[in-house]
Amino acid sequence: MIGIGGIGNANAADRRDARFGYALSAPALTMLFLVILFPVVSALYTSLHEYTLIAPNYDTFSGFENFMLALGDQEFRHSAWLTAKFVVGVVLLEFVIGFAVALMLNKVERFKPVYYAILLCPLLMNPVIVGLIWRMFLHPNLGIVNYLLSTVGFGPVNWLGDTKIAIWTIILVDIWHQVSFMIVLLLAGLASLPKEPYEAARVDGANSFQCFIHITLPMMRTVIVVTLLIRLIFAVKTYDLIYIMTRGGPGISTDLLSYFIYRTAFVSLNIGEASAMSIILLAAILALTVYLYRYMRAIR
Amino acid sequence: MRVRWGSFIPHLILSAFSLAILLPLVWIVRVSLTDKLTAYKIPPEIGHVGIENYIEIFSAYPFERWFLNSLFVALASTAISLPLATAMAYAFARFNTGGIFLRLGVLASQMLPPIILVLPLFTLFFTTGLMQTHLGLILAHLTISLPFLAWMLVSFFEGDSASLEEAARIDGATRWQAFILIAVPVAAPGILAAGLLGFILSWNEFLFALVLSGADTQTLPVGLASMETHAGVEIAPLAAATVLSLLPVFVLLPFLRKYLIKGLSLGALK
Repeated sequence: MIGIGGIGNANAADRRDARFGYALSAPALTMLFLVILFPVVSALYTSLHEYTLIAPNYDTFSGFENFMLALGDQEFRHSAWLTAKFVVGVVLLEFVIGFAVALMLNKVERFKPVYYAILLCPLLMNPVIVGLIWRMFLHPNLGIVNYLLSTVGFGPVNWLGDTKIAIWTIILVDIWHQVSFMIVLLLAGLASLPKEPYEAARVDGANSFQCFIHITLPMMRTVIVVTLLIRLIFAVKTYDLIYIMTRGGPGISTDLLSYFIYRTAFVSLNIGEASAMSIILLAAILALTVYLYRYMRAIR
Repeated sequence: MRVRWGSFIPHLILSAFSLAILLPLVWIVRVSLTDKLTAYKIPPEIGHVGIENYIEIFSAYPFERWFLNSLFVALASTAISLPLATAMAYAFARFNTGGIFLRLGVLASQMLPPIILVLPLFTLFFTTGLMQTHLGLILAHLTISLPFLAWMLVSFFEGDSASLEEAARIDGATRWQAFILIAVPVAAPGILAAGLLGFILSWNEFLFALVLSGADTQTLPVGLASMETHAGVEIAPLAAATVLSLLPVFVLLPFLRKYLIKGLSLGALK
């Protein structure tokens, strides 16, 4: 009988619980150590050596030289800054559009399932496919988009070939692909809000805008932060779209960090320096993750 | 009048938004059904309609091999990670195994950009002979599916089966029996849906497959990307291949709807 055995037995049961927990976790933890922690430590080790694909060995310990090289590298700083701007740009735009659509969807009754079913479509699509489709559509002479623009009198736009425009094209395609993520999560948050505060506010004569500012926004705060952070961290990983649509070009105008590290490793063949860059990226991601974790706990 | 306008404008915007998502997908299907010449016609014309492109991707490209490689790698990595993740998630939820430290570790593993892992995996696979093998790619995909599934499943076990398990324990069931015979069956629909999401994650993965696979182990995304460079601008067969690679995801989507929010929000929202 549980609960009668007294403190000694309860402690023994707790200890057995704990042991059982570790026994259940052991296989997964072993695998995670093997495929994640070990490679990360190995990347850290590589970043401290002069390791290139021409001389793939750990003979020359170079301390923090790779980090110094990376931080002093104009192109790395360009990529890091571009990635920061890109990430903030897509997350903010997707949030504004996503929140607006979510608010409307939360209001309408008719056709809601139809709208919802359609907006789910891009969610699980492969970024490679999204990139290929849009590359096709955005071809300067053979693409459907420029044709449609020409019918309403706009000149052909060089979507992916112009250094000023290309990054915005990537942002637009990313919005097409990912805005549904924001809508789905924000709508879930909106749907779970209690009705009473709105009714009370109506009685007090508040209009829709005041309700939104003083009730919806404060109550949605944690959901919004979690949604933004998840999307932010995933946007930092953006690689596939760049590889498919621009390969970082024209020039280095869309050279986001993941793609630049890839180039450093497999085109410049400098694995050591690329590892140092990836460790810097890792530090940034870990900081964001800790922040996200705190907010996720607040929801539960 | 006010009421009618009030509902008209949201519907107008929502329809426009839906069309913006739907039209590109419809257009891709259309291109996949035209012949090569019609596919390039600007302004577009209806022209010929047929399934030649779907036949060509099997004869002119190793589409079948890409498809089967993707299927095999996704099935294998999900089959390995699902039981491991289920057991760990249960331990996290019920016994708080490892506390904050392990939970944060699993979440961080999931957030890790693949480019950080692909460099060490490349050098490790190079020395161990796992390069360009199915096994190597399956291991690489575990780095994505295992933390994702573990993190997502914790929230499934934080549900209502705890009291059932306690009752069973009082009746003499062991901890193992309470886990296998009660907790897992109660959470089964969620575990299954999580498994499908894990499958899609692997199905869509590109960077690992690009760097770590070889001619015989190439997956669909890598194959599609190579098709694009080889064929230059042969868009009709490319469109057909695209439609076929999207198919499994769209077939699975209806089964996932209930669990999609939980999956996307990493278990934070229901």
